[in-house]
Amino acid sequence: MPLTDADLVARVLVNDDHHAFAELVRNHQSAVRGLLRQLTRSDLALADDLAQETFLRAYKHIRTFRGEAKFSTWLYRIAYNCFREEARKRKEFVGIDEAQLEAEPDPQTVDPALKHDLMHALQLLPLHERTAIVLCCQNGLSHDEAARVLEIPLGTVKTNVLRGREKLKKLLAGWGPA
Amino acid sequence: MDEMDELLQEDWLDARLRDEAPYIDDAGFTAAVVQKLPARAPRRSFRSVILFAITFVACLAAYLISDRGRFLIVAAERLAAMPFGYICAVALLCTVVITAVGASAAFFTANDRPLDGLVRLFR
Repeated sequence: MPLTDADLVARVLVNDDHHAFAELVRNHQSAVRGLLRQLTRSDLALADDLAQETFLRAYKHIRTFRGEAKFSTWLYRIAYNCFREEARKRKEFVGIDEAQLEAEPDPQTVDPALKHDLMHALQLLPLHERTAIVLCCQNGLSHDEAARVLEIPLGTVKTNVLRGREKLKKLLAGWGPA
Repeated sequence: MDEMDELLQEDWLDARLRDEAPYIDDAGFTAAVVQKLPARAPRRSFRSVILFAITFVACLAAYLISDRGRFLIVAAERLAAMPFGYICAVALLCTVVITAVGASAAFFTANDRPLDGLVRLFR
């Protein structure tokens, strides 16, 4: 019977078990790296560096994980914080502001060949909508969990998901169900 | 009808978002992370020292209280006077008990959840 995240975390806490932590990394690496790839707009090297930093921080602070949320939710939060810090360092992180909204692509001008490429379409969304969509629709977090990961109000998450979806639908127009 | 279309669109989009999330192959990522983990802090355990000290003190006390180990000589004399069959029976009993204790310890160590293991054993 495979061990649950809670079992593995307990082993790390009690025995400082590196094998148990490796199992946790193996179980969650794809989701965490996937999230970071979306956040960094497919900068694979940066995404993997941040993912490594995420897991190293998780190991260092594992005693602060109280099991109130899922382990994956806790990891996403660390990953998002890592990304935010890195983006601040690089001065690339922009909040929801007019400049960013203006910079959004016009669905009419998007290369038609990319219209069926959902992953590409996702990367055309502004950061806050892209993050909300990836967390809620791709990684299966509830709006409430996503709000905790992103440290923003629940209503904002719902709005971001809704707007993101609308834009995705426009970007992928013609590829939906007939 | 428009609402129906909208719902269909949303289902389709959600399904594609879930299905098209690529699984990222580990490709040495876990190994790289584990390599960077800080070394385990050496555990300072005084357990063995304490056990050794208690054993030593207990042996010393027993030796002094029992007239400098006189009881050992008496026990050896009694053992020598016992019938051979009786000694064999006691030795066999001791072997069985020690084997059973060792086997159960190995069984519990091998199973992460000893109670589950016991349940499986008696099913």
